[in-house]
This record gives sequence, C-alpha cells and structure tokens, in this order.
Amino acid sequence: MSRVPFYLRERLDDVKQRVLFETYEAQKLPKWEQVVLTWILLFSFWTIISANLKAENLLIGGLATLVISSFMHEMLTEDIRRSGHILEKILYISFFVIPQYLFIMAFRLIESNFKVAKHAVFMDINPGIVKIKTELHSNTGVTILANSITLTPGTLTLDVNKKLGETYLYVHWISVEALNREKAGEKIKGDIEGWLRKIFW
Amino acid sequence: MIEYFLLLLGESIMIFGTLGILRFPDVYTRLHAATKCDTGGAMTILMALAIASEASLLIKLKFLVLAFLIALINPMVSHAIARGAYKYGIKPEVVVDMYAWDNP
Repeated sequence: MSRVPFYLRERLDDVKQRVLFETYEAQKLPKWEQVVLTWILLFSFWTIISANLKAENLLIGGLATLVISSFMHEMLTEDIRRSGHILEKILYISFFVIPQYLFIMAFRLIESNFKVAKHAVFMDINPGIVKIKTELHSNTGVTILANSITLTPGTLTLDVNKKLGETYLYVHWISVEALNREKAGEKIKGDIEGWLRKIFW
Repeated sequence: MIEYFLLLLGESIMIFGTLGILRFPDVYTRLHAATKCDTGGAMTILMALAIASEASLLIKLKFLVLAFLIALINPMVSHAIARGAYKYGIKPEVVVDMYAWDNP
C-alpha cells in the first residue's frame, strides 16, 4: 500500500468506501430485534397518550402495538447499525445518547432564539446558501441530521442531494462565515454527526 | 417561580420573532424568524404549563410529548415551505447561492 501513488490511493479509498456502503444490506438488524425496538417505542407512546394505567388498557395497547410493529418494523429501524447485543443497544441509546442529544439540543435551541432576536434588532444579516457534505447515507440518519441543522442557530436546510453514494445538504445560512465545504460543514454540523454515526449508517 | 420565568421567556421570544418577520427582507430569512419563534416560544410556554398545571404525571407528560412533536414537525414544515418557494421561482437575496449553481 505504501508503494501506491498518491492519486491511485485516493481512488482506492473511494472504492473501499463504496464497497462498505454496499455491504450495509448485510449489516442490518435481524427481524425480531427490529420488532422489539419498534414495539417499545410504540407502546411507550401509547401509554403516555392514553394516560390510563389500568390493566386492560395496557393489554389492548400492547396487543395492538405488537400487531402494528410486526408488519411495520422496517420503517423506523431499517438504518440502525448492528453492533453488540440488543439489550446493550437499548440501554446505550435510551440512557446515554438520547439525554445527551436532548440536553445539547435544548441549549442550541435557546441560543438560536437569542441569535435570531439579535439579528432582528440589529439587522446585521449576510444570508447565503451553502453546500455541505455529510458522512451519513441512510434515510433516517440524514433526516435527523437535517432537522437538527434546522434547529441549530442561524441555519435552515433547503434540500438534500444524493450523488454517487455521497450525500450533500444545501443549507440557507443567515450570516455566512465560511464558504469552504469542510469549514462550513464543521461550523454547521458540529458534533451532532459524530453521535448519529454511532447509531445510524 | 420558574414557570413565570419560562412564560416571560416564551413571550419575549414570540415578540422578537414577530419583529423579525416584519423586518427581514425575503422569504427565507423570514422563515428563520417564524420557525425559531415557533419552536422556542411555544415549547417554553408548554413547559411552563406542564410545571404550573395541577394534573397527574401522565397528563404532564402529554405536554412534553406536544413539545417534542413541535420540535419534530417544525423543521419539516420550514424545509417544505423553503423548497416550495425556491421551486416556484422566488429568488433569494443572498451573497452566494450554491443551490442555483447545481440546479440551473
């Protein structure tokens, strides 16, 4: 590998990345784990929405959500990476990733409100539409990343473009600070993408 | 005590968002102000209601589910409006427009 010329090495890395993306079909979760994850999510939503802790209500809700999750299991959990045991994954997601994400996003949301208030008062805007590249490829991961970018200060996702196995986002930025793709990506995405890459493909 | 602080924060965010809608130049920057005042203002007011209301815990959790749904739906709606406006042909007042470079 060390004797390979520089331009060829870049090409080889590109091909390797593409092969990795193609083996993602083989890295999906097995079916019963998808059903269990969907069922937990739907059943907790049922319990909160119905606000009724009687036994027959919980029984009806559990059966109905089990039926729904048995044939809709691919919709939410299609893109989750396979790593470790399912119990480990549930504990990791619900006690480590989600609280961290919610905490950081709450502060970013408040910061974005103050930033837009500042822009509205002083009118020091410098808007522009920039294009950034993401490392995520799955539909769910790109959706969560685009929504988080819209919630973070001063940015609004306009469109997503997938070309040759790479994903690009078009972002409307209210005060453009960098035009370079890498620098703008670092400033816009922050460390959200790093967390999402741990779970999604 | 903390619910009055949250209510005041929500009200002030709503007022500044309205000011932004009135003062910004074009659709996209106005959309920034509209969505930000919606998320921040409505979510803080819902949290104040969840703290202040005298109901059981599950009913209070419903307010938090509503706040979560607002945070989920708002970016999608803003994306849909912005993309629809762009496809309709409204040109943004910007310094650089990379979306027009790739979609001539």
